[in-house]
Amino acid sequence: MKSRSMRLIQGAAVASTLAASVFTFVGGTAAVANAASKKFTVAYVVGAASDPFFLSMKAGASAEAKKLGINLVWQGNPSVYSSATQIPIVQTLLAIKPSALVLAPTDTKALQPLVAQYIAKKIPVFNVDSGDANQSNITSWVTGNNLQGGQAAADALASAMGYAKNCTAASKCVVAIGVSSITTSTDAARLKGFAAEVAKKYPNIKALNPIVSNSQPAVATSGFKQDLAANKVSGIFAIDGTDLEGAAQAILTAGSAAKSIKVVGYDAYATTIKSMQAGKISAIISQQPALEGKDIIDAVYAKLTGKGKISHLTTLANIVLTPANCAKLCATYVYKTA
Amino acid sequence: MTNEREPILELRNINKSYGSVKALTDVSFKAYAGEVIGLVGDNGAGKSSLIKTISGVHNPDSGELIVDGVTRHWKSPHDSMAAGIETLYQDSGLAPDLTIGSNIFLGRELEKKGILGKLGFLDQRAMERKALEELEKVGITVPLSKRTVSQLSGGQRQAVAIGRAAMWAQHVIILDEPTNHLGARQSLEVLKVISAARDHGLCVLFISHTLPHVLEVTDRIIVLRLGRVVKDALTSDFTVESLLGTITGLNT
Amino acid sequence: MSTVETPVASSNEAPPPSPLKRIATYAANQQFILFLVLIGVMIFFDFHNTRFFGTSEFTNLLVDFSEAVLIAAAEMYVITSGGIDLSVGSTIAVSTVVGAYAIQYLEGHHFGEFPSLLVGTFVCAGVGGVVGTINALLITKARLVPFVATLVTLSMGEGLALVFSKGGTVGYDPAAAVWSSTGFWIFRWLTLIVLGITVILGIVLHVSRYGRYNFAIGSNPFAARAAGINVNRHVASVYVLSGVLAGLTGMIWYFNSSGGAPQNGIGNELEAIAAVVIGGVSLVGGVGRFSGIILGVAILTVVHDGLVFINVATTWNEVVVAGFIALAAVLQSLSSGSKRRT
Repeated sequence: MKSRSMRLIQGAAVASTLAASVFTFVGGTAAVANAASKKFTVAYVVGAASDPFFLSMKAGASAEAKKLGINLVWQGNPSVYSSATQIPIVQTLLAIKPSALVLAPTDTKALQPLVAQYIAKKIPVFNVDSGDANQSNITSWVTGNNLQGGQAAADALASAMGYAKNCTAASKCVVAIGVSSITTSTDAARLKGFAAEVAKKYPNIKALNPIVSNSQPAVATSGFKQDLAANKVSGIFAIDGTDLEGAAQAILTAGSAAKSIKVVGYDAYATTIKSMQAGKISAIISQQPALEGKDIIDAVYAKLTGKGKISHLTTLANIVLTPANCAKLCATYVYKTA
Repeated sequence: MTNEREPILELRNINKSYGSVKALTDVSFKAYAGEVIGLVGDNGAGKSSLIKTISGVHNPDSGELIVDGVTRHWKSPHDSMAAGIETLYQDSGLAPDLTIGSNIFLGRELEKKGILGKLGFLDQRAMERKALEELEKVGITVPLSKRTVSQLSGGQRQAVAIGRAAMWAQHVIILDEPTNHLGARQSLEVLKVISAARDHGLCVLFISHTLPHVLEVTDRIIVLRLGRVVKDALTSDFTVESLLGTITGLNT
Repeated sequence: MSTVETPVASSNEAPPPSPLKRIATYAANQQFILFLVLIGVMIFFDFHNTRFFGTSEFTNLLVDFSEAVLIAAAEMYVITSGGIDLSVGSTIAVSTVVGAYAIQYLEGHHFGEFPSLLVGTFVCAGVGGVVGTINALLITKARLVPFVATLVTLSMGEGLALVFSKGGTVGYDPAAAVWSSTGFWIFRWLTLIVLGITVILGIVLHVSRYGRYNFAIGSNPFAARAAGINVNRHVASVYVLSGVLAGLTGMIWYFNSSGGAPQNGIGNELEAIAAVVIGGVSLVGGVGRFSGIILGVAILTVVHDGLVFINVATTWNEVVVAGFIALAAVLQSLSSGSKRRT
């Protein structure tokens, strides 16, 4: 059982401390802006700021912003991936009148009224990674191709389980799924891609209802343990890093029978790559957060200066890392948090 | 009451001020074992200050407090309890969710014998049984049961609270408005317990605004006005009218 | 000596209740009803998937039970003493992170696995004790209301867990997980230790002087003080105890997830309070049976795990839990209406 109401209270508390830090920041920017009037201030709001995915994105975006002379105001709840905590942050940032807002919405609908407020003040809004359901107000959206990633995950998992040989109509292969948030467009797209691919190509796979971990590894572990005890599970699809951690732990403590379970999961953390090399994970679906961050900053710059072309939607492919290609690719795609 | 005996409690020239407000001025009286003394006075007459001085909540600025022939200076209410004085304040009586036995022994629990007792295990059965015996000594009959105090009537509760004070007091029990908020029949129960405590050889200081109760149960009445003792006389010397007159200062 | 005749006296001579009436009393007992409901729910789960009454699922249930029971017990102590502790969840987070650093450091300095874990356990308990001490000081010295004082430490603990861990899981210690998955039959060693502590806490609450003072203070702090009990000292000790139990729970989570994740335990204070409510403990203090919270934690664990087990979408979990809290609250108000004073 998770505590929604409590989260709200905490969200408000975080937002108020944030407000203080943002306002002190504004004082600093104003002075800079006067000195060099060409300098833009861009508000950049992510889902869970301490997630290595967003840390990696920050590295890519910051480097590009520095090159282009853009001030980044980087914000996001440290760990809670929820619209309840994100909305007050976006609301607060409106007060600093940024040149543009880059937003990774934690809900496909909940942030839209706020986006409309930005548009009303003639502040262009961009989406990065996750996106609003209604894109009419959004100048540009750079995202990983999560639908394709979900499909690729299904293929990788089927191949790891030995689908042709081991999964039959009489004895279907049971797959457990873990997801951090079901209201986020990225998680939803991966789930959709996975389910579509299974429906199309793998009728002998039975997918269980997803475990919702709310970004807590221990909650994911507990859920996977239930799936493992209730069914003869052959594979696990972990939709983000938290769930991947949880899956590894559940298998570790479930005894020898669980050792043969194949795991395919999202996000190339240094730790998950290590687990793959140790044989505990069959494949890792990696996004390109640093590139997403760079590309969206380029789009913002193009919009603000009127120089260069802006495409409304840029989708970057999800990369499948396997023990076979790791030597070649892992170093490139591991999330860099520096 | 025979005054040849040594008083069990004696106050000599007690003074107490709160800042510039003089609460008690040269208060002196003697109290003996086996008597009920009514302590009456209007609001602000100094009744509470006097109780707090006797029970050790605070110390007097000057004057002497003598209990059983020994001059005392309290550091805390603990000291007065150790010297044999129990005080029952308004509203502080009992813990309603605990059983009668648990309340009687609250803060003075009986432990089991041997190693279990050393580990802090309580002998609940012995406490319930002894509580019953002790309450009967002051004339209160309650069932030996797991009944909590909250299941008793207001009068029964107050009776148990007084019984508790009477059981632990060596010398004096101080009762602050024990019949407040009680109906006539329930007040009667409480007054009977007070008489039983006196018959048991205790000195009872009975503080009340309800003058008929004071006249009914006390042997002697001390009237306070503006921090001074204005009258100290046998109860038989008073009527409701004369007592009221003394309290308000209309007659002295 | 005169004898006061009181109405209670007459019930002294009342005949013992008939067997039928005794059954009726049991049936009206909140805990008994909830126990039947728990059994019913378990049979329902097993009906859907007969693996439910199997050793592997019962092992899981006991592990999850042990993750939750100590903070529920802590909450029981605090609530029966008339307070509340909102900080137990975030104390788990901060202690698991600090404990993980300690273990990482010790193992990195060739301290040996077992001694490292043992020291880590003390570190977790110590961190919890520090949080509990802060609560105790805020409540008994700064005179803050327990709700506010522990709201302060709730936010503080949550923030510090993230600051210390920089957002990610600290340490990765498969050895801890491997040890925590050993045991016999449906019991793991860790589970057995937790169950042992739980039994001791229950006994202390109901038959020791400490437990008696706890109920007395929760029932009427003025009476407790008048009876010579050092109320402040006791209240302070209860919050320290609560903190230590939350800290130990942080270590349990470390074992069960082989690392210190700063999100661990966040929000679990409400789960603990829910267990207390389901167990029939009065939130205003003074009343409650320890067996009630055991039942409360058992129900929450079984529902939480069982719904996933029978492949119901986890989003339904909270709805079902809400139903149980409502049921318990209704039973409590019915029974208190029939026997308690206003």
